[in-house]
Amino acid sequence: MKRLIIGLLLLMPGLLPAQRLARGLRIPEVTIYGKRPMKDIGVQKTKMDSVALKENIALSMADVLTFNSSIFVKSYGRATLSTVAFRGTSPSHTQVTWNGMRINNPMLGMTDFSMIPSYFIDDASLLHGTSSVNETGGGLGGAVKLSTQPADADGFGLQYIQGIGSFKTFDEFLRLTYGDDHWQTSTRVVYSSSPNDYTYRNHDKKENIYDEYMNIVDQYYPKEKNKSGAFKDLHVLQEIYYNTRKGDRFGMNAWFIQSNRELPMLTTDYGNENDFENRQRELTFRGILSWDHLHENWKIAAKGGYIHTQMKYDYKRDAGNGVMTSMTRSRSKVNTFYGQAEGEYYIGRKWLFTANAAVHQHFVESRDKNIIRQDGNKAIVGYSKGRTELSGAASAKWQPTERIGMSLVLREEMYGESWTPLIPAFFIDGILSKKGNVMIKTSVSRNYRFPTLNDLYFLPGGNPDLKRESGWTYDVGASFAIGKENVYSLSGSINWFDSHVKDWILWLPTTKGFFSPRNIKDVHAYGVELESDFTVALKKDLQLTLNGTMSWTPSINEGEPMTPADRSVGKQLPYVPEWSSTITGRIAWKRWSLLYKWCYYSERFTMSSNDISLTGKLPPYFMNNLTIEKGITTKWAELSLKGAINNLFDEEYLSVLSRPMPGINFEFFVSITPKFSK
Amino acid sequence: MKLLSKKYDCTMLLVAAFFGMLLTGCMKWDYGLVEEFHETSKGLFITNEGNFQYGNATLSFYNPDTKEIENEVFYRANGMKLGDVAQSMVIRNGIGWVVVNNSHVVFAIDINTFKEVGRITNFTSPRYIHFLSDEKAYVTQIWDNRIFIVNPKEYKITGYIECPNMTMESGSTEQMVQYGKYVYVNCWSYQNRILKIDTETDQVVDELEVGIQPTSLVMDCNNKLWTVTDGGYEGSPYGHEAPSLYRIDAETFTIEKRFKFEFGDWPSEVQLNGTKDKIYWLNDDVWEMDVTADRVPDEPFLPYDNTLYYGLTVCPQTGDVYIADAIDYVQQGMVYRYSKNRELLDSFYVGIIPGAFCWK
Repeated sequence: MKRLIIGLLLLMPGLLPAQRLARGLRIPEVTIYGKRPMKDIGVQKTKMDSVALKENIALSMADVLTFNSSIFVKSYGRATLSTVAFRGTSPSHTQVTWNGMRINNPMLGMTDFSMIPSYFIDDASLLHGTSSVNETGGGLGGAVKLSTQPADADGFGLQYIQGIGSFKTFDEFLRLTYGDDHWQTSTRVVYSSSPNDYTYRNHDKKENIYDEYMNIVDQYYPKEKNKSGAFKDLHVLQEIYYNTRKGDRFGMNAWFIQSNRELPMLTTDYGNENDFENRQRELTFRGILSWDHLHENWKIAAKGGYIHTQMKYDYKRDAGNGVMTSMTRSRSKVNTFYGQAEGEYYIGRKWLFTANAAVHQHFVESRDKNIIRQDGNKAIVGYSKGRTELSGAASAKWQPTERIGMSLVLREEMYGESWTPLIPAFFIDGILSKKGNVMIKTSVSRNYRFPTLNDLYFLPGGNPDLKRESGWTYDVGASFAIGKENVYSLSGSINWFDSHVKDWILWLPTTKGFFSPRNIKDVHAYGVELESDFTVALKKDLQLTLNGTMSWTPSINEGEPMTPADRSVGKQLPYVPEWSSTITGRIAWKRWSLLYKWCYYSERFTMSSNDISLTGKLPPYFMNNLTIEKGITTKWAELSLKGAINNLFDEEYLSVLSRPMPGINFEFFVSITPKFSK
Repeated sequence: MKLLSKKYDCTMLLVAAFFGMLLTGCMKWDYGLVEEFHETSKGLFITNEGNFQYGNATLSFYNPDTKEIENEVFYRANGMKLGDVAQSMVIRNGIGWVVVNNSHVVFAIDINTFKEVGRITNFTSPRYIHFLSDEKAYVTQIWDNRIFIVNPKEYKITGYIECPNMTMESGSTEQMVQYGKYVYVNCWSYQNRILKIDTETDQVVDELEVGIQPTSLVMDCNNKLWTVTDGGYEGSPYGHEAPSLYRIDAETFTIEKRFKFEFGDWPSEVQLNGTKDKIYWLNDDVWEMDVTADRVPDEPFLPYDNTLYYGLTVCPQTGDVYIADAIDYVQQGMVYRYSKNRELLDSFYVGIIPGAFCWK
C-alpha cells in the first residue's frame, strides 16, 4: 500500500510539496535514491533539476536544456528561434506538452523553446524515444513534458528579481503568491528586453578600402554589431488551485505571451540595417482548466484548454521616401481547443491500469502574401484549415515482484480523417541488485507522426499527398544509485537506443522557385546516452554537486539515392551532432553558491553528403558559463545577489551558419523576497 | 578549523580536474587564408545558390579543356563568403558581376584571379544585372516594384525604374535582353508580363501579357524573344494553367508563336546555343528546338534520368550542353556535360544548388 500511495502522489504532483521559490541560498538535504513509481516502469526519463530551472530569470528552456540534457538545441541566436531534437531526429519529432496540453505549433510541428521562460516551469521531464508514447503520440524522437505546480504558499508571498546585463539587457520577474489550506494562487510576470546588439568579428565578410579611382587597396574583417536583433518579451502566468482536501483538486493555468522580436541579419548581409525591418511579433494565450479526483486506489482527471496564437512577420524596406514598405507581410492565427480525460486504477500492489483520451481541435489561418491578380484585384496567398487530432491510450502495468515491472501501452491516433494503426509500446524493467539499486530497463515501440498543416496546405508548396512518418524504437538501459544519507549520493544511467524512421518529410526546393515537402528519407538513428549525478556534503555547510550527460547519436540516412549522384546515403544527417555532452558543477558553501556549466557539441555537418567545405563549416564548440550567488537574510526579507558570466572564454561560435552568437557577456541579478507576517 | 579529510582531498582533486578539463576547451577556426589564382583560360563559372538563410552560396570555375573544376573560388581567393543565394553572373570587360540575392549585394570580381574588385550594396533582393554601358546597368529585383539603375564604375545605385501594376510585395522582375535601345524583362512571381523599357528615359514604355509566371528570357539570332511560363501552381489565387513557351517578335513586341505544354508540366531555363539558332529548356527532360520550328520535337534532347535538373547552359563555342543536378539541395550538386551529339563527356561536383552559369 505504501508504494501505491507513493505512486498516486507522484501522479498528483500538485499534492506534493511544491518547489519553493529560491529565497536566498539553501542547501538541500542529500537524499537517497528511492523506489520507482509504477507509472515509470521501464521509462527512460530525464527530470530537470528544479535548481537548474530556477537558475536565473534570463534563461529560457532552450538555455536550460542546452546545459542540462543530452538533447540537441539548435539556436539561431540569442532570443531567437531555438528548437530541440532528441537522438538525431528533427525538432518536429519532439512533442512538447504543457500541463498535459500539446503546445507544438500545428502549422510547423515544432516548438520554439526560446519562448518558454524557465522560471515559468516548475517541473520538466524529457521522455526519451519509446517513453514518449506514455504521454503522447508523434514523438519519434521523444517528448518534453513541462508543467507548473501549486506554489505551496502559506499566506501572501512576493518575489521580485531584477536583472541587468550586457547589451542593455533588462530582465524582470515578479511573483505574487497566496495560499491557505485550500487555495493556492500564483501570478508570475517576466519581462525581458534588449537591443541585443552584441559585437562580433565578422569573418564571413570583408570591408573594402578604396582609393580615389575605386580600386580596392585594402580589406579587413569588420567588427560588427548584431544587427536587427532587438527583442521585448512579456510573459504572464496566472495559476489558481483549489484543493478540497477530500480528494478533489481544481486548477486554472493561464499563460499570456507578447513577443516582439527583430530577426537578426545574416553575417553575409550587405543591406543597410536602417533601410530594412525584419520583425516577428507573437501573441499567444494558453489556458487550461483541470480537475483531479483522487481515491485510495483510483484517480480520474479531466482537462480543458485553449490556445490562441497570432504570428505576425514583416519584412520591410525603406523605398527611398523614408517610409518602410512591406516586402513580405505574413500573418497567421491558430486557435486550438483541447480536452482530455484520464483515469488510473490500482489493483493491489501489482497492477495499475491507466487510460486517457485527448482531443486537439485546430483552426488555422495562414495569410502569407498579398498579390495583385491578373484581373487587377487584390488577393492573399494563404490557407485556412481545421483539423481534429485525437489521441487515446490504455496501459496495463504489472509488478509481479518487487524486482520486476512490465508495462504495455496501446495508443491510437487520428489526425483529420486518417487513423494510425495501433501504436504499441512495451516496457520492462528489473532490479538486478538492491545493493546499488542496479536496474535494467528495456522497451520497444511503434510510432507515427502526421504531416503538419503547413506540410499539407501551405501555399505554395504544401503537399496534401504526404504520408505520415513511421518508426520503430528500441531502448535498453541500466542505472544505479548509491549513497549515504546526508553524506553523498551517486547515480548514473546508460541507455542504448535504436530507431528507424520511414518516410521522413523534408522540404525541398522545386524548379518553380518554392519549397515543397516530400516523404524522402529513411533514417536510422541509434546511439548511447549517459547521465550521472553526484552530490556530496564535503563538510557542514559545504556541498558539491556534479551532473553530467553525454550522448553519441549517429543519425544515418538509409533511404534510396535521390539521383545517381547522391552521396548522402549512409551519412549522418546535417545539423545533427554525433557527440554532445554537458557538465554542471555546483559548490554551495553557507549562503554562497558557485555554478559552473559546460557543454560540448561535436562538429555538425551542413551537407547531407557530410562533405566539409570552407563555406559550410560548423566546428565543434565548448561553452562555459559561470554563476556566483550570495544569499542574505534580513529581518524583513530574503535577498539574493547573483552574477552570471556567459561564454566565459569569449568563444567565437555558431550553432547555425551565418548566425553569430554573443561573446563573453554578463548579467547581474538582485532578488528580493519580503517576509510577510502571517 | 578541522583539517580536511582524505575524502575531501580526493574530491577536491576531482573538482580541480573537472574545472581544468573545462578550461582547455576552445574552438578552432581557420580564417583569413587566401589562395592566388591565375585562370587565364576560357571556362565556365557556376553560381551555386546555397541554402536560403544559411549564407553558403559559392562560385565554381570549370575549365572545359582540362576538365578541371575549382570549387569555392570566391572564398578561396578572397577569404570571405560569397553570401546568401548566389542568383546569377555576367561578365563584362574582364569583370565578373555576381548577383547575390539575399545578401543584397552584387560583387565585381576579376575573372582570372577571382578576387573582388568592388561591390554594389543595399539592393532589395537582386536577381539579374544587365549592362547598358560601362557606367550604367540595370539590376532586377524580387519583392520590389523597382528595377535599380547602377553605376558599375562607381559601385553606386543611381536611380530606379518604377514598374507599373506592381506593389513592393508583389514586385518581381527577372532576366533582361536588349534590342536596340529597348531592354525587355520578364516579370515572374505572381506576374504574367514582359516589360519593355526605354533605356534613354529609363521608363517602362510597353508591356506584353503572356502566360502565368514567365521564368526566363533570351533573344535568338532573328531578334525573337523566347520565354517559358511555369503556369503557376495548384491553389494559387493568381491562377494555375498549362505552361507555355512563347516566341515574341522584339520589333513589334507581339507574340508570334505559343507552344503549349501539358497541364502540370514544369518547364524552365530557356537557353540558346552560341549561334542563337537553337533553344534549349528543361521540362524533366532536356529539350532542344530550332528557333524557326513550328512544333516541339517529339523526343527530348536528353531524356529524364531520375534527376530533377535545376540549371542549364550551352557552350557558345562547342555546343556542349551542361545540366545541373541539385540532388537533395543540401549537398554538392553535380554538373553533367554532354556533347551536342548527346554523349556524356564529363561530370563534376560543384556547390550546393547549382542554379546558373556564366561563360568566360
